[in-house]
Amino acid sequence: MILIIGGANSGKGDYAKTLGFPESEIAFNIHELVFQNPDFAPGLLESFLKNSVVTCDEVGSGVIPANRHERAAREATGRLCVLLAQKAERVVRMVAGIPITIKNCKL
Amino acid sequence: MTILLTGGSANGKSTFAEKLATELPAPRCYIATMRPFGEESQRKIDRHREMRRDKGFDSVERYTDIAGAEFEQNASVLLECMCNLTANEMFDDNGNIDETAYERILAGVLSLEKRCENLIVVTNDVGSDVLGQYDDSTMRYVEILGKLNIELAKRFDVVYELVAGIPLLIKGDAL
Repeated sequence: MILIIGGANSGKGDYAKTLGFPESEIAFNIHELVFQNPDFAPGLLESFLKNSVVTCDEVGSGVIPANRHERAAREATGRLCVLLAQKAERVVRMVAGIPITIKNCKL
Repeated sequence: MTILLTGGSANGKSTFAEKLATELPAPRCYIATMRPFGEESQRKIDRHREMRRDKGFDSVERYTDIAGAEFEQNASVLLECMCNLTANEMFDDNGNIDETAYERILAGVLSLEKRCENLIVVTNDVGSDVLGQYDDSTMRYVEILGKLNIELAKRFDVVYELVAGIPLLIKGDAL
């Protein structure tokens, strides 16, 4: 599995589509699911690992939200990304549309 | 050796900090800055305590005035974290800002640096945000923590940013 992370609108989705996998094997923007119910995030790990590519926003930077749900969702997204990154064969961080590989098991 | 770890929330900064600290020589001292306000902070504190268990840390709770923290002279010290420390030093119970906070916090960290053998400091990237949405005191907090991060990164030997649990070397030689 290839994990692609980065800020919103940093080009993750477009990059994911260039990797040669059918879109049915790509899980786009998984943070959206986590934000729906942060408590379910750990349980989503296994199903996301079945994809060839997973994209997720990095949401942990900035001022810690005053809103409890947002705080929990932010933490759950971060922890899920840590677990996905551990299992991923490659982790790519997008910066202004430029893919930066920060983990590569094939090297 | 001085090491600064930055990155967003839940990116594995504590886990990496503790891994680094356990690779440094004992004695090891953990300086905790989070006030146990309510159930959520208590859960966080408990989680961190559990992570540190059996790793050979003496724990010191120090919500302000870290210069007063006591530890053995040759200790490897882990300070966690600048975001709580800055909030604790900056704001009183009524939310009033103490304008001397920056100097006091910096002096506190420098006091640790001077007295210990190795120092690991965990901070947070609070500035990557749409800042117009916050009130003046939050803006001031982001400004002061940003200034502290710059000053520490300038002084310290090694700086890492943690991203999805992966340490990215920003300054110095990889450990």
